[in-house]
Amino acid sequence: MAKVRVKYFGRLRELLGIKEEEYDAYGITVADLLLKYVPERHRNKSKEWMETIFMTVRDEVAISKDGLPILKNYIVLVNGRNVKLTYRLENGDEVAILPPVGGGYFEN
Amino acid sequence: MEMKWRFSHQLEEDILKIKIANNLSNLNELIDEIKKTSDEIGAITIFIGVVRGKSRGGEKVLRLEYEAYEKVAVKSLENIISDLKSKYGILDAIVEHKTSSAEVGENVVYAIVASKHREEGFKSLIELIERLKHEVPIWKKEVTEKGSYWIENIQEEKKK
Repeated sequence: MAKVRVKYFGRLRELLGIKEEEYDAYGITVADLLLKYVPERHRNKSKEWMETIFMTVRDEVAISKDGLPILKNYIVLVNGRNVKLTYRLENGDEVAILPPVGGGYFEN
Repeated sequence: MEMKWRFSHQLEEDILKIKIANNLSNLNELIDEIKKTSDEIGAITIFIGVVRGKSRGGEKVLRLEYEAYEKVAVKSLENIISDLKSKYGILDAIVEHKTSSAEVGENVVYAIVASKHREEGFKSLIELIERLKHEVPIWKKEVTEKGSYWIENIQEEKKK
């Protein structure tokens, strides 16, 4: 099986307690990774994971008209490039799930 | 605030200096370094980001903790500086950003812009810092007396 490396930052790194991990994830989409693979591996954190990165309605992940889950203002990069949730992962891909930034140097 | 990620732009020059690390360089040495890059420089404009001792909510801050997706952050800053060169005609820029833990009063960001004249220097510096804040994957956690908070953006700051 192909390996995909997944990196977590900030709030997500703290939530899962790891900076990165690998998945056997040949041909699955980014949506599959975020909706199934990650929460299945981190079952004790799965509810908080879902609520953190996805829009939810009555504890269910909100689904858009095109059938995809709706991310909050998180960004998914694969090999440094912004991808859609429909992106199919390939062997050796590096997935990074980025919380929103907003460092606050210019607060009023 | 929408974040933008652009990687398609190929840099024409490689004279940019960007550092994301636990320790910042000596500021005077950075100024000397950028001065050497061109005899056309007539202004050096500098921003120093400092850890403030009070949070937005007025709580006493104990320290900040920074975390970066370093390789993407560097690429993102390269693109920003390249844009500023095209837009304002600045001569060069240096950006350094601290990672890991930072105490109150500590310098955490140096942004140095070298330009022919002050006007484009000031404009570029403001835009550089604004884009650094919104586009570059560096996250900040504020540790206060009452708790710790990831500062993700002004609208959605959440209590951990």
